[in-house]
Amino acid sequence: MTGKQRKQIWNAFQLTLILIATFIMLVPIVWIFLAAFKTHVDVYQLKLFFRPTLENFGTVFDDPYRLGEKLYNSTIVALVTVVFAIPIATCAAYSFSRFRLRGETTMLVMILATQFVPAVVIILPFFVMFRDIGLLDTRLGLILVNLAIVMPFAIWMIKGFIDGIPLDTEEAAMVDGSSRIQVIRNIVLPMAAPGLLTAAIFCFIIAWNEFLFALILTNKDAVTLPIGLALFKGEEGDLWNLLSAAGIIIMAPMFVLALIIRKYFVQGMTMGAVR
Amino acid sequence: MAEVILKNLTKRWGDFVGVDNQSLDIHDKEFLVLLGPSGCGKTTTMRMIAGLEEPTSGEIWIGERKVNDDLPKDRDVAMVFQNYGLYPHMTIFDNIAYPLKVRGTPKADIRPRVERAAEQVELTQFLGRKPKALSGGQRQRVALARAIVRTPKVFLMDEPLSNLDAKLRVTMRAELKHLSRELKVTTVYVTHDQIEAMTLADRVAVMKHGVIQQLGTPDEIYNDPANLFVAGFIGSPAMNLVRGSVKDGHFITVDGVRLSTIASEDRNEVILGVRADDINVHEAGAGDIDTPIYAFENTGEASFLTVVWGDQRVIARGDRHLRKEQDDVVGLTLNPDHLYLFDPATERRIHL
Amino acid sequence: MRDNTLKYVLVLPAVMVVFATAIWPLMESARLSATVGRLNRPGSLDQYIGLENYTWAFFEEPAFWNSVWVTGIYTILTVGLTTIFALGLALLLAPGGRLRSGVQTLLILPFAMSPALIGVSFRFMFNPEFGLFDAFFGAVMPPLADVSWLADPTLAFAVCVMADVWGWIPFLTLVLIGGLASIPQDTIEAAQVDGASGWRVFKDVTLPQLAPVLAVVIILKSIFSLKTFDQIFMLTNGGPGTATQTLSHYIYFNGMKYGQIGYAASVAWLMVIPMILLTYLYARFVFRKD
Repeated sequence: MTGKQRKQIWNAFQLTLILIATFIMLVPIVWIFLAAFKTHVDVYQLKLFFRPTLENFGTVFDDPYRLGEKLYNSTIVALVTVVFAIPIATCAAYSFSRFRLRGETTMLVMILATQFVPAVVIILPFFVMFRDIGLLDTRLGLILVNLAIVMPFAIWMIKGFIDGIPLDTEEAAMVDGSSRIQVIRNIVLPMAAPGLLTAAIFCFIIAWNEFLFALILTNKDAVTLPIGLALFKGEEGDLWNLLSAAGIIIMAPMFVLALIIRKYFVQGMTMGAVR
Repeated sequence: MAEVILKNLTKRWGDFVGVDNQSLDIHDKEFLVLLGPSGCGKTTTMRMIAGLEEPTSGEIWIGERKVNDDLPKDRDVAMVFQNYGLYPHMTIFDNIAYPLKVRGTPKADIRPRVERAAEQVELTQFLGRKPKALSGGQRQRVALARAIVRTPKVFLMDEPLSNLDAKLRVTMRAELKHLSRELKVTTVYVTHDQIEAMTLADRVAVMKHGVIQQLGTPDEIYNDPANLFVAGFIGSPAMNLVRGSVKDGHFITVDGVRLSTIASEDRNEVILGVRADDINVHEAGAGDIDTPIYAFENTGEASFLTVVWGDQRVIARGDRHLRKEQDDVVGLTLNPDHLYLFDPATERRIHL
Repeated sequence: MRDNTLKYVLVLPAVMVVFATAIWPLMESARLSATVGRLNRPGSLDQYIGLENYTWAFFEEPAFWNSVWVTGIYTILTVGLTTIFALGLALLLAPGGRLRSGVQTLLILPFAMSPALIGVSFRFMFNPEFGLFDAFFGAVMPPLADVSWLADPTLAFAVCVMADVWGWIPFLTLVLIGGLASIPQDTIEAAQVDGASGWRVFKDVTLPQLAPVLAVVIILKSIFSLKTFDQIFMLTNGGPGTATQTLSHYIYFNGMKYGQIGYAASVAWLMVIPMILLTYLYARFVFRKD
């Protein structure tokens, strides 16, 4: 066998593996998509072909599930979290990126470390405090704790983007007579805009998918979508067609957002540790 | 030891043609340089010889064997990469030893051979270090040592000097020449630097757009360029190329400047090629053409005068003691024995 | 404002947020862990009992050791399997080209899925009557045809591991593809020309150069595996019995369901210890370049 033939067989083998892997990756997602369009009869059978229905999407928004409220809560919580997190993180990231601060490394390590603290450790004191000051089951309470998981990400990610902006543009602007604040507003922010957008989307996804905080801090008024999934556990077991429809409502927007920022996705997750 | 033969070699990526149906015989023990600007297909040609790129069509022979279907490891070639391709996690010793180790050379043989190769490129005291701890020139030597530690059929060198600073490049060029004449192994050397090509090569293949423009000894491509591209690419400063016509045994520029006698019949549109060396500089009135200086540059070893005729610039090389100012008038004489004519339509040389 | 003042003003809000949302709760958890800490007994949150909660966990609570055990095995299995599969997939996809980049893009989808939803979807897939994976495993391995996956302690644990690995392979793969791309191509080509076979190139040149990235990936995945909660909660809720009860789940149950917040805080702090170690390792890699 020549080297070329061996190469071709090897290539075909690789393609087969890739296709199998892709199949395994997609099956659970596709299955949920299919189930969301099945009737409550079809969903309890292993059917690949069925008469699709949009009924489930109507049902989940009706009484008693009222997924609309959860959708609203999730949107508000994730959006406000991002609106607070990004400007605060941007200021800090600029400072970390461009200046030498006393205790800079310590601060950066601390910020990095907080991201790895188990959420369950953070949430216990917050539960006690929120119970005492009446913030349990409120969107405001959720937003506050969500900042805990979003901030470290945002700071490190935006710092990475600002690090990538060449210093000489800024220096040119300062030589031309801009103040530091003007430089940040007129030069850095526009140049970092794609990075800020990426960080914002990233934080939005994290806040949207957040589960444990919402599970512990909410029970009725401020319930978010992931917790809402628990609604579809009926007396007679799980209502899979409705669970799937709700699943699509949770994941579809995230898919779209993730695809928008896919170039920076990995970079953002590892925060510059791997490059 | 072997010759390398390329038969109708073509490399295409979609619509883009990298190498266009080229044939080339590289003789045994020859030092052949592939010379051309970036994107001319020289590196692609070399990578196809190494087996790192698969030809779209055509054949590659090394020695008696057609190697098209062989993997790089089975072609018995050694290559020096532009960025050296050193293994950053291995010591210099292990880097040089790798080609031996991977080919199953007995351990006892490896050490003396690595040490000999290291000696040849003066690396002996660095064998315990990692590549990161070495300077650019030293890394370059490691890459070289890794190639010469075996005696392959062919050496392939892909712009090996391009990442060195100017001074080091000159030194390494001489060392490379010395080494290659000592080893006497067929070598293919890729570069965009015409001085490297001129100094190192037995023969040079000048390439452009995937096509070999001229194949010849350094002398031939310098003194007998086949077309406009080769004429303009070889030599520093580049050969002056002046548009004009030939009338009554004289070359006249498009702006009507009567430059020089030339042994040619009348032609309407031609391009005259003349090297800066072949234009003699005199005091005003003592040459064929009097003309003011556009710019005067003194490099220490020579002086260069730029003059302007219409929109065409011409550079002449003067004596290193010549001192002139901008706008001074000088007299120029073209050496009629070293003038070239080119057809502007076909870009080919018109032999006189 | 001068730069010297400005630079601290700029970081102040962020540092305050991080302090309030992470440092303070950590400290407060430590304090709670030293109290009786019953949610339904007012005043017990200030009733100090020293290290009693910790000794209770260590010496009187087999359930604590069970969850340590579950979390340990779970972490080892998920980290190992995810890394191996991701490395394989990364090597398959790294060469690029239309098909391979298309698959790379698809890989983002599972990662954008919330872990809770992954839990739900795997519960669905392993339903004994109409689960697709259940049917598949039943078909290829007949002894598994009639089992109810989530009712069997070992199989339920296996499903949890599968769901985790499924959810994390894409991300690790993308990171490793990035790592592979940063390996200078010419070192690989040099090895090929030097005479190395595909396997030797991988072993001698690719893998050693990928090692730092691999280390980061393993540390990162270990951190996330140790914290696992969402999938477990939605998939098995720790069951059957306590067969899949991870530490996070154990803490949640003791703190929220039984109201023993002081005890939960002490276990939570025990969990912080390996995190500090891993974070230290991770930070060393992050700051390695400076």
